[in-house]
Amino acid sequence: MGLLRDNDRKQLQAELGKMQNPVKLVFFTQATDCDYCEITKQVLEELVPLSDKIHLQTYDFATDKPAAAQYKIARVPAIAILRLEPPAVLVAGNESPRERDYGIRYYGVPAGFEFASLVGDIMDVSLGESGLSEASKATLKQLQAPVHLQVFATPT
Amino acid sequence: MALESDWVTADAVEASEYPDLSEKYQVYAVPLTVANEKIRIEGGLPETQFIQQILQGVARNVTKN
Repeated sequence: MGLLRDNDRKQLQAELGKMQNPVKLVFFTQATDCDYCEITKQVLEELVPLSDKIHLQTYDFATDKPAAAQYKIARVPAIAILRLEPPAVLVAGNESPRERDYGIRYYGVPAGFEFASLVGDIMDVSLGESGLSEASKATLKQLQAPVHLQVFATPT
Repeated sequence: MALESDWVTADAVEASEYPDLSEKYQVYAVPLTVANEKIRIEGGLPETQFIQQILQGVARNVTKN
């Protein structure tokens, strides 16, 4: 049985139809000792086919250590949301897209309201548009030191 | 914010699924935003105030160290 209702699926497809750049979801899972990995995998497997601009790559957190280090993942389930951009220089044989990593991570099952927030993140990353005011953008452009935000939420 | 500055990274965390983190950061109500381990913003704030509180908090934190 699917997690998404037909109606939700149609709405989502319409929303995802507005994507521009493709987005890569890098999903970290684990075969054992992970209560929420399987359900997260199911959510992603229903979401990904709704747009040909969403790509999913799955790593095993326990065995794919270099990938976990590359994306700075410390726990599972985790999803890194990256934008795929055309290569800077087109060289024959080197057409693979570049990954633009804004440092946006999602830890836990994207269920309920949090599912909408994951879709929102995918849209923002695809469009490169935060939706913040011009004043906020200008303030953030002046930032010169690392800021790591952790936003805690619960499924509703 | 992570989209607008390369200095910003952002994690969304399901509090109930990571009790270790919820305990570490004493998450009693959501949403809770924690910036650089120390600055806490409980609940929602208008965008301008939210960004201001985080950046001021982070700047103070840096000065202290």
